Amino acid sequence: MTDKPMTRGSMTRRTFWIALLMVWSLGPMLWQLVSSFTTADALVNDQLSFWSRWTLNNYRDLLTTDPPFWRYLFNSSFVASLTTLLTLMFAIPAAYGMAKLPDRWRGSLRAAVVGAALFPYVLLFLALLELARTFALGNNLIAIAIPYSALSMPLALLLLTAAFEALPNDLEDAAKLEGLSLWQRLRWVLLPLIAPASASTAILVFLFAWNEYPVALTWLSRSDLLTLPVAMARIAGSSTYSVPYGTYAAATVLGAIPLLVLVLVFQRQIVSGLTNGSIKG
Amino acid sequence: MNLRRWLAGGALALVMALGALVGSASFRAEEVSILMPSSFTDASADLVKAFNREHRGRIHLKLIRGPLNTESISDLAISSLLLGDAPFDALLMDVTWLPKYAAAGWLEPLDPWFDPGDEEQLVQGARLGNNYDGHLYRWPLVADVGLLYWRTDLMDQPPTTPDALVNIAGQLVQSQAVANGFVWQGRQYEGLSCDFLEVLQGFGGDWMDTTTNTMELDTPAATAAAGWLNDLIRKGVSPYAVTNYAEAESLQAFKAGDAALMRNWPYAWAELQKDDSKVKGNVGIGLMVAQPGERPGATLGSWGLSLMRQSEHQKAAVEAIRYLTSESAQRARFLNNGYTPIQADLFNDPEMLKASPVLPDLLVALNHAVVRPPTPLYAQLSDVVQRELNGLFTDAESADEAMATSQQRSQTLLRAAGATP
Amino acid sequence: MTMLLAAPALLLIAVVFGWPMLRYAWLSFHADSVLTGLEPVANGGANWLRLVADQRFWLDAGQTARFALISVGLELLLAMAIALLLHQRWRGRGAVRALTLLPWALPTTMMALGWRWIFNTPYGPIEVLVRSLGLNSLDLLSTPSITWLVTVFADVWKTTPFITLILLAGLQSIPEDLYSAFRLEGGTPLQGLRRVTLPLLLPYILLSLLFRLAQAFGVFDLVQVLTGGGPAGSTESIALYAYLNGMRFLDFGYSATVMLAGFLLLTALILAGTLLLRSCGLLRPLDR
Repeated sequence: MTDKPMTRGSMTRRTFWIALLMVWSLGPMLWQLVSSFTTADALVNDQLSFWSRWTLNNYRDLLTTDPPFWRYLFNSSFVASLTTLLTLMFAIPAAYGMAKLPDRWRGSLRAAVVGAALFPYVLLFLALLELARTFALGNNLIAIAIPYSALSMPLALLLLTAAFEALPNDLEDAAKLEGLSLWQRLRWVLLPLIAPASASTAILVFLFAWNEYPVALTWLSRSDLLTLPVAMARIAGSSTYSVPYGTYAAATVLGAIPLLVLVLVFQRQIVSGLTNGSIKG
Repeated sequence: MNLRRWLAGGALALVMALGALVGSASFRAEEVSILMPSSFTDASADLVKAFNREHRGRIHLKLIRGPLNTESISDLAISSLLLGDAPFDALLMDVTWLPKYAAAGWLEPLDPWFDPGDEEQLVQGARLGNNYDGHLYRWPLVADVGLLYWRTDLMDQPPTTPDALVNIAGQLVQSQAVANGFVWQGRQYEGLSCDFLEVLQGFGGDWMDTTTNTMELDTPAATAAAGWLNDLIRKGVSPYAVTNYAEAESLQAFKAGDAALMRNWPYAWAELQKDDSKVKGNVGIGLMVAQPGERPGATLGSWGLSLMRQSEHQKAAVEAIRYLTSESAQRARFLNNGYTPIQADLFNDPEMLKASPVLPDLLVALNHAVVRPPTPLYAQLSDVVQRELNGLFTDAESADEAMATSQQRSQTLLRAAGATP
Repeated sequence: MTMLLAAPALLLIAVVFGWPMLRYAWLSFHADSVLTGLEPVANGGANWLRLVADQRFWLDAGQTARFALISVGLELLLAMAIALLLHQRWRGRGAVRALTLLPWALPTTMMALGWRWIFNTPYGPIEVLVRSLGLNSLDLLSTPSITWLVTVFADVWKTTPFITLILLAGLQSIPEDLYSAFRLEGGTPLQGLRRVTLPLLLPYILLSLLFRLAQAFGVFDLVQVLTGGGPAGSTESIALYAYLNGMRFLDFGYSATVMLAGFLLLTALILAGTLLLRSCGLLRPLDR
C-alpha cells in the first residue's frame, strides 16, 4: 500500500490533501497572526485601504500593561519546569519499583494508575482548593507544582514503567555482580538506558503543566502570579467597551511561539511518548 | 582593621537610612485598593487623581481594573477571597451579590462609619439592597432601575395596567402602526428574572419571604403574572423573538422604530437620543404596569462599595468610599458618563436637569424600586425561575405547571443548601 | 525495598486523586453553603434529592455526553484519514507531522479566545464570509442550537492530532508483508483497509476512544472561556456546573454532589460501552 508506484494524478491529489491538512491545522493560528498586526479600526472595517491596516500597537499594549505579558510566560515556564523536575524525581524511582514488583501486584497497581490517567481531573478542583486553603498554598508558584506533579504522575509512571520493563534483566544482574548498590545501578546503568523515555515523559509533563487551567484558576488569583492559560482567560474580560481582539490575537501569537519551538524541537520525543503510552498503557 | 571598622560603620548607617526610608514611606501613605469593573475604574480615573492629591502623604488610592462582565468580576473576587488573601480593601458590588458575600463573612459592616443622616439623603431606591441581617454592608455608588419606555408619537399616555398595555399595544400592531407591540427580555438569563419581578410586583405577588425562607411562586398572583407574560407572546402583543431577547436586542428593535413599548434600564435613554435612532425625540419613560390598586415595581440593579473584613486599612478605605460616593463625584459621573446619581437633591438640580430632562422620571421609578430576593442563594433560585419561565414561553406549558414546578424546585434547593424549611 | 521506591509517587497519586473522591462522598451528605456559614452541616440525602430533580444537572449531563460522543466520533474519523495520509512516504512528512501537532500543544484557553474572535458576530471571518454570500447572520456564539457545534469544532481542531499520533503508531506496527500477501491474493486497497488495517488497528482505536471520551466528558476550559456555558446554558458541561456551584454560588455541598455524580455517570458510560463492545466481540483482540 505504501510502496505502490504513484501515478501523477494520485500525487497531485495527495498534495491537495496535505495542503488542506496544513490549512486546517495552521489556518486559525495564521488568522490570529494577521489579526495581531491589524489596527483596531481595520478589524471591524473592511473598507480601509490595505496600507492603513497594519500596526504594532497590539504588541506594544501587551508588553506595557501591568503586569507585562512576558511575566505570564515566565510564570508558566517556571511552574512547568519545576513540575517536570519534581515529577521525574518521584516517577523514575517509582517506575523502577513498579517494574520489579511481582506480577499479581503489578496488575492491579497498573489498573489503578491507568484509571487515574484517564480521570477527568477537573473534577478534583474543589477538594484541591480546600487543600490550598487549609495549608495556605494559594498564590504560590512553587506550591502549585505539587498538585501538577501529582496530576501528571500517572502518565509518567506508565511511560517509565514500560521503559524499565523493556530493559533486559541481564544488564542489572551483571551490575549486581559487580557489587553496585541499588542507587549506583539506578544512577549509572539504568538511568542512561531510559534517557529517551525520560525525555518523552519530561516534555509531555512540561506541556501539561504549561497548559493546565482549572487548578491554576483556583489556586492563583494575584495578577502578577498568573500562568499563561489563566492570564489569557482573564484578558478576555478586562476591556471596557469592546473586546480587544487585536490584543487577544497578539497574546495568542506570543503564547504560541514557545510551544511552536518546543513542538518542532521535541517532535520525536512527543511522538514516541504518546505512542509508547498508548501501546504499553 | 581600621578600614573594616569603617566599612562596618558605613554599612550600618546605610541599613539604618534604608530602614528609615522604608518606614517613613509606609508611614507616609496608607495604600488602599478597590476592585471595580473596568467601566467604573475608567469613569473614576479623574476622581482618584483628585483624591490622591487631596490626601497626599496620608492615603494612596488605587483602583484595580477588573473584568467588565458582572459575573466575571464576582468570580475573580470570590477566587481571591476563597484563597484567604484578598488583595483589595474594598469591592464594588452588584446588588445581588451582597447577601452571599455578607453571609460568607467577607464583609465588614459599615454601620460605624455611616449614620442615619447619611442614609436620609439617598433616594428611596438607593437605600435598598445595602443591608443584610440588620447591618449596613454596602454604600451605593450609582442607582439603576427597570423602566418602561414608550413612544410619544404612538400614544398620549403610557399604559399603567396590564390590560391597558395589551389593548394599546395590540391595537397598534393590528392597525400596523408598528411592527411589534411590547419588547422585553425573555431569554433564559438574569434579565428575565428582573422583568418577571416587576410584573410580579404589579400583580401584587412576591418571590419569596426571606425572613422565613418561604417561596411564594405558586401563589395566584405569581401564576397570573407568569400567565400574563406568556399571553403577551401568544396574543402577538410581543413578538415570539423576545424569548431570545436580552437588553441589547430589545433596544435594537425599539431604536429602529419597530416597537411601541420597551422594558429596559436607564442607559437606553441616551442611546435612543443618538442621531442614528429612528425614535429620537419620541420616547417617554414610565413605570412597569400594575393591576389597579397594586403598586408598580421597578427592579433595582445598582452598584455599591463594600468594605472587606480582611482589610488592614479600613478607616482609609472608608474615606475613599465616602469620596467616591460624594455629591460632587456623583455629579461628575452623571455629567461625564451618564451614571444615575443616588442623592435625592441632585434630581432637581438645574445643571443636572439641563443635561437630562428624564431625571424626574427616573426619580419616580427609583421611588418604586423593588429588590430581588436578598438571599445568599439568589443566583440559583433565579436560575430555576428563568428556566421555567423561558420553558413556559417556548413550549406549550401552562403557567400553573411552570410556577408549581418553580416553587417545588426552589424549596428542594433551599433545603439542600441548609435552610430550615 | 522496591515497594518503598514506588511509595512516594503512589502516595501522591492517592492523595490527589483518592482524597477528593472520599471528601466529595462525605460532603455530598452535608449542606456546606453560605446559609451554613461555609461550614458543613449534615443534611441527610437532601443534596442527592435535589440532584435527581435538578433539570439543569440532567440537561448538562445530556449536553456533556452529546459533546463527548460527537466530538470524539468526529475526531476519530478525521484522525483516521490524517493518519493514513501521514503514514504514506513522501518528502517533508516529518515537518508536516510536527506542524499538525501544534493545535494539540497550545493551551485550550488560548485558542478559545482565538475562536471567540473567529466566530464573532459581526466581524469574524466566518460571519463576513456568510454575509458576503448574501446569507443571514449565523450568530454562531449566541444561538443555542448552533453554539454547541462551535465547541465541538474547537475540540475536534485541538485534539485530532492526539488521536492521529496514536493511530499512526498503530499503523506503523502493522507489518508490510501482510499487505503484500493481501495484494497477491488480489485484494483492492479498500478491502485491505477493511480486512487488514482496521482489525489490527482496533486496539489503538479503542484506547484513544476510551481516553478521549473520559477527557471530553470532563470538558471545562473550552466552554468556560469560549462560551461561559451560554447561550442560555446550552453549552454548559457537568464540570462547569460543578465549578459554578462551588465558585460562584458558594454551595460546596452541592458542588461535591454534582462532581461525584458526574464521575459515576462517566464510569457508567464507560462500563456500558465496554460491555457493548464485548458483546459484539470487538474486544477480543484486547484480551491478551
